[in-house]
Amino acid sequence: MDTTERGTRIQDLIGKYPQKESAVLPVLQLLQKEGGNYLSKEAMEVAARELGCSASRVYGVATYYSMFNTKPVGKYHLQVDTCVPGFLHGADDIAAHISKKLGIEPGETTKDGLFTLSKVQDLGSCATGPVVQVNDRYFENMTAEKTDQLLEALKNGGWPDNDTAMKVVSKCGILLNDRSRKDCRTLALYKKNGGYQALETALSMKPEAIVAEVKAAEVRGRGGAGFPAGTKWSFLPKDDPRPVYLICNADEGEPGTFKDRQIMEFNPHLLIEGIAISAQALNSAKAFIYIRGEFSWIADILETAIGEANQAGYLKHVDIVVHRGAGSYVCGDETAQIESLEGKRGNPRVKPPFPANSGLYGCPTVVNNVETLSSVPYIINNGAAGFKEIGVANNYGPKIFGVSGHVNQPGIFEYPMGTPLQEILEAAGGVKGNLKGVIVGGLSVPILTAEEAKGLNLDYDSCARAGTALGSGGIMVVNDTVSIPELALRTIEFYEHESCGQCAPCRKGTHTIKSKLRDLVMGRGKSDDIDLVLSLCKNIKGLTLCPTGEAFAAPVQAMVAKFRAEFEALVKR
Amino acid sequence: MTNSFREFENNKLIFCIGTNMTEAHPVASYYVKRAVNKGATLIVADPRKHALADKASIFAQIKVGSDVAFLNGIMNVLITEDLYDKKFVEANCEDFEALKAKVLEYPPERASKIARVPADQIREIARTLAVNRPGALCYTLGITEHTCGKNNVMSTANLQMLLGNLGMEGGGVNPLRGQNNVQGACDMGALPNVFHGYQAVTDPAAREKFAKAWNVPSLPDKPGLMIPDMMAKLPSKEVRAFYIFGENLANTDPNIANVEHELSSAEFLVCNDIFMTETTRFAHVIFPSAAWCEDDGTFASSERRVNRVRKIKEPPGQAKPNWWIFKEIAKRMGHEWRSSSSREIWDKEVSPLAAPYTGIKYARIENDGLQWPCPSEEHPGTTFLHKDGKFTRGKGLFQAIEWTPPAEVEDEEYPFVLSTGRRLFHYHSRTQTGRAGMDQKLSEETADICPKDAARLGIANGEYIQVSSRRGSVRVKARVTDQIPLGMVWMAFHFREANANWLTNNVYDPQTKTAEYKACSCKIEKIA
Amino acid sequence: MSKNIFINGKGFSFEGEKTVLEVARENGIYIPSLCYHEKVGPANKCRVCVVEVDGMKDLQTSCSLAAADGMKVGTTTEKVLEAQRMVVNLLLSNGNHNCLSCEANGDCELQDAAYYLGIERPPFVIEEHKEREDSGAFILRDPEKCIQCGRCIEGCNRLVVNEVLDFGYRGGHTEVVWDNDMPLDDSNCVECGECVQMCPVGALIAKKGMGRARRWETKPVRTTCPYCGVGCQLDLHVKDDQIIRVTGTEGAQPNMGHLCVKGRFGYDFIYSDERLTTPLIRENDGFREASWDEALNLVAGKFTQIIEESGPDAIAGVSCARSINEDSYNMQKLFRSVIGTNNIDHCART
Ligand SMILES: Cc1cc2nc3c(=O)[nH]c(=O)nc-3n(C[C@H](O)[C@H](O)[C@H](O)COP(=O)(O)O)c2cc1C
Ligand code: SF4
Ligand code: SF4
Ligand code: FES
Repeated sequence: MDTTERGTRIQDLIGKYPQKESAVLPVLQLLQKEGGNYLSKEAMEVAARELGCSASRVYGVATYYSMFNTKPVGKYHLQVDTCVPGFLHGADDIAAHISKKLGIEPGETTKDGLFTLSKVQDLGSCATGPVVQVNDRYFENMTAEKTDQLLEALKNGGWPDNDTAMKVVSKCGILLNDRSRKDCRTLALYKKNGGYQALETALSMKPEAIVAEVKAAEVRGRGGAGFPAGTKWSFLPKDDPRPVYLICNADEGEPGTFKDRQIMEFNPHLLIEGIAISAQALNSAKAFIYIRGEFSWIADILETAIGEANQAGYLKHVDIVVHRGAGSYVCGDETAQIESLEGKRGNPRVKPPFPANSGLYGCPTVVNNVETLSSVPYIINNGAAGFKEIGVANNYGPKIFGVSGHVNQPGIFEYPMGTPLQEILEAAGGVKGNLKGVIVGGLSVPILTAEEAKGLNLDYDSCARAGTALGSGGIMVVNDTVSIPELALRTIEFYEHESCGQCAPCRKGTHTIKSKLRDLVMGRGKSDDIDLVLSLCKNIKGLTLCPTGEAFAAPVQAMVAKFRAEFEALVKR
Repeated sequence: MTNSFREFENNKLIFCIGTNMTEAHPVASYYVKRAVNKGATLIVADPRKHALADKASIFAQIKVGSDVAFLNGIMNVLITEDLYDKKFVEANCEDFEALKAKVLEYPPERASKIARVPADQIREIARTLAVNRPGALCYTLGITEHTCGKNNVMSTANLQMLLGNLGMEGGGVNPLRGQNNVQGACDMGALPNVFHGYQAVTDPAAREKFAKAWNVPSLPDKPGLMIPDMMAKLPSKEVRAFYIFGENLANTDPNIANVEHELSSAEFLVCNDIFMTETTRFAHVIFPSAAWCEDDGTFASSERRVNRVRKIKEPPGQAKPNWWIFKEIAKRMGHEWRSSSSREIWDKEVSPLAAPYTGIKYARIENDGLQWPCPSEEHPGTTFLHKDGKFTRGKGLFQAIEWTPPAEVEDEEYPFVLSTGRRLFHYHSRTQTGRAGMDQKLSEETADICPKDAARLGIANGEYIQVSSRRGSVRVKARVTDQIPLGMVWMAFHFREANANWLTNNVYDPQTKTAEYKACSCKIEKIA
Repeated sequence: MSKNIFINGKGFSFEGEKTVLEVARENGIYIPSLCYHEKVGPANKCRVCVVEVDGMKDLQTSCSLAAADGMKVGTTTEKVLEAQRMVVNLLLSNGNHNCLSCEANGDCELQDAAYYLGIERPPFVIEEHKEREDSGAFILRDPEKCIQCGRCIEGCNRLVVNEVLDFGYRGGHTEVVWDNDMPLDDSNCVECGECVQMCPVGALIAKKGMGRARRWETKPVRTTCPYCGVGCQLDLHVKDDQIIRVTGTEGAQPNMGHLCVKGRFGYDFIYSDERLTTPLIRENDGFREASWDEALNLVAGKFTQIIEESGPDAIAGVSCARSINEDSYNMQKLFRSVIGTNNIDHCART
């Protein structure tokens, strides 16, 4: 790319946003691509100049997001996800295998400059682990042999096919479609199956009426917190002259969670229709889909689908921009996501003010999860009452559960809210080996022992009663081959890696807990360390700026408290 | 300054012309930049694209010495497009017709030719000024250091009166004073035509008042000489004794060769200083002075604020406060002065003898200083002048001003324009900063030129070159920077070696006698 | 209308919009706080300023919590102290907080918090080593002491708007960076020292004062800067007759604590060995030392002689635009009333 072409492409990116600086991530992504998967300081200076912001501001952003390579990497960057689901699926063996094969340790590059090996945190491919990301492509369900084939193919300049096989069951048939069809993502098929009728209905409704319907459906946010979407919408200030922004949270960063991508990758028009209806309801002329950067091909799918929908005239009232993240779990938090969309480091904001009053660019903003927004067309088509026929009291509608870890058939399951855990586990082919514990809502919720998990129904209220949370519905099954201290260490490693570093208890707390747990796992720990970890967890809960503190303190605390004997057994004598 | 620094941050518009604030007045620039971050409009007009220009919504890179034409062009638009503040002009100003007639001779196209900025930019600036009111105008030596310096200054006043930007918070004509106490030295009557508090020596009542206070029969009624005239009269011995207090004229005045000739011909030169300087070399007597921190006293800042300065240590050796030295000379010439401390001088003489300071006493400025006029001890001081359009002389007088070019302009032999000023890390001839570690940040002078000229002449950044004018020649490091426009060389006067004043032109504004530091012609050559 | 809040059971009235921390401070109640600075407002980063509020489940950061009428706040409950102790312990144990050798000893907000909380020795790990960065002419960076409060960054970007600093990296690696994480001297940093003044600990240090006095040995003397015409107010921190360091006077007109590089670091010329210390009289090509009497008499005599021979206008004088008002006043008084000429000027226009 010559400098003028680069200049125009940068200007095009800037043009997509109401404010120039929002283009920091896309511009850096462009420059990294141009630099051969490497973002040099010179490139950052170019970005700073083009975007009119300070060098340190751009550098701060570039070094915040883990997908920016501010040090050169090999031609093929092999990134093995060794976070909890990957760990349960044997990702460590794959990493070790590559290490041995290429003669490099994680963080190193082969002498010929061809390969760099990295261990990375959750890639959102939990049931199809182990997963290796090579540059921006995923290779799932990896085995030692397949790894050999992959390396061989790459050496020869080719790309093998990706094996995405997993169990898919849709009992509700609302959110998941038939992905076996080649044309599953096309507008034609979507329309043929009744797509965009809800939008047409909605466009003839008063915005308040749409809000009322969604409110009446009592659809609870599927991003994790379970807050009723209609209620959130009704918090937007009335008669406010400022523009309203709608952000679809497609960051899907919670380990164990890989549900939103099932909609976006195979049924993109459902989400787009959901956004289009919601934008109509909220009077929002600009919507963003903030998708995690690792899902780059899914972002392409969304852009294609938006193009189709646009052409078909469905998006006259709203401009939908797909914004790619760049590697940060915390950017899944709505306020951090807003900061990130403004082109900043993904540091969560203090609430209040809440996004409904002062969100993106200080304007009223609604952030909703992919699955939440994708439920909206069904609500419009079938009415709140129709939606409430699915699920259980106070927990209505369909829910996508992802099951990973020690089951015989990991995969994705669309079932009504409130379905018994047992039923889902059976759908997933049953537990492999002896169940030790299960984490039902992504890595931020307390683990349940096999005993505690008995008879659990998967809805927000039942999970809360059981002392855990339904969260995102990412279920990780742990059998008795797993050491809980090791699991706890993996957990805190994830959060230590992802902590934005803004507030002291999280920044220093994750680090300190990690070093104590590592000492224990390595057999260097002292008996005080266990209580120290517990007391850190106890004090950190509720003390941090954003919910991340709770998100690591609660699960680690539960693992230590519920499986204390395993930790005690590791203490150095 | 008619207004105050702290206002800047909340201003709607700030128009900076001929002021490189981030380097020469960094703390003032903080407020300007903060105002921009809060949404204020910043207009910068300057030959150099200095750091403040990056923050500006409009940057006009005007040709050196074109200010009057540029400002007349703006006023032309304000009048022809009917954008000026008619109410203010009618109620508070005089001679509008004369101004109008003159600026009508400067349509934007003509101004554009002289200032070398697009005519449409001049229009845009005028319209921006008209809608964003009040707006403050700030300038520094870029306006004054010209043979037409006074005219430049009056043009800025014309503009602000025309816009009705005087007499309120957020407006004003704000010259940022270069040195810590230039304001004070003026206020104190270290000027040939006024006693302190700007009481004219030609006014018999003032003379009578001071004669009485100072216990002398009479005082001279004829305004005295200004510095360049004093110096010019040294070789002819019309001035026989010359007393220089704390100034390093041999480095800071234009055309060093000539200055040194004049100083060396002084029959009797007396200096007060804290260091030996290039100037004291020519002295017959040197008195060692107390420095900053070695005496109590006051400074007056650009915003007319009288601030306390405090003593923390004794002067070294036998060095003495300057006021004491003057008092001792007076005593030895038969005059016994009573005040024997800075505090007494201020509280018993300065304050009671001039209305603007009557309310300012040491006891009142223990913490924050007070801004004059402060006519009584109950008065809180004055943050901005000309409230409600009331001017000292009654009505504000418009002046019809013609643009004149600098005394020396580029020609074939000397094709570059040399302009000069200060840099962030140094101050004047470095008598202070050179002894405070600032050389670590900047250790030698450079000649700043633009990349295009550098490329054309094959000059690399950091290479030594020869810069010459009709008055002298220096060897100096080239600094290639896109701050500089085509055809300009920019230098400072902080270092003796490669001091810009070897080259500058000793021509002066006829009234203010300010030298034309900002423009003379020069040439640059590669050193083989 | 004045409102009331209760802190540790005692009622305090306050006016207008205030945070709990502000009300507490006004009334002399200490709540440890590390990232809040009144010039930049709450940052919510350190979380040590927490208090317990009746009716609220979690601890609240007092720096950002608006005081409300009738609010009941506890600053010393066990829950509060435990949380505060944990955070301060975490900060102390991650980094090299060796107060013995630290320049900020005695003037450090982290040290104050630790002392208040009765922390003698942090119970956790000590971090990997981070090098000091010594490239700056006047500012030393000691990243091991940095607590990532962000005050320097806010100062640089929002107060002096030099836009050099920001946080770089993430999580535990978060660090203050100059431009592209450059050595200070190579960056666009102008060393105005705002960051040094904002830093609550000893992570940013004015080099000139290092090793010359402990903070409690100096006393502040307010004065006016001797450089440009803005008239910044500064506090000289003086031990005996030495200036150890300079800070901008907080809350003072016109600079509100801000300074530039010259004002903050350009003070020590007064201690130069090259200072003139005795009157000098020209002799041949050089000068000889003289007594005040001799030199003053010589000048007075010569002036008198010239006045007699050529009239007062044959004498001219230039005053100093850097020295105090009182000096200029006396000089023009000498010229006008003693010599009898108005030939007095100064570089009024430069
Ligand atoms: C650290 C953190 C990470 C989060 N990650 C996600 C995420 O990846 N996807 C998501 O939808 N919500 C995530 N959330 C929740 C969002 O903040 C927000 O509540 C949600 O997007 C709102 O949408 P909903 O109401 O439709 O669930 C996260 C929250 C936190 C605190
Ligand atoms: S809790 Fe962690 S992630 Fe959240 S703001 Fe604090 S440091 Fe950042
Ligand atoms: S250097 Fe000081 S002010 Fe800056 S973040 Fe660190 S502790 Fe805070
Ligand atoms: S002072 Fe309140 S969070 Fe740091």
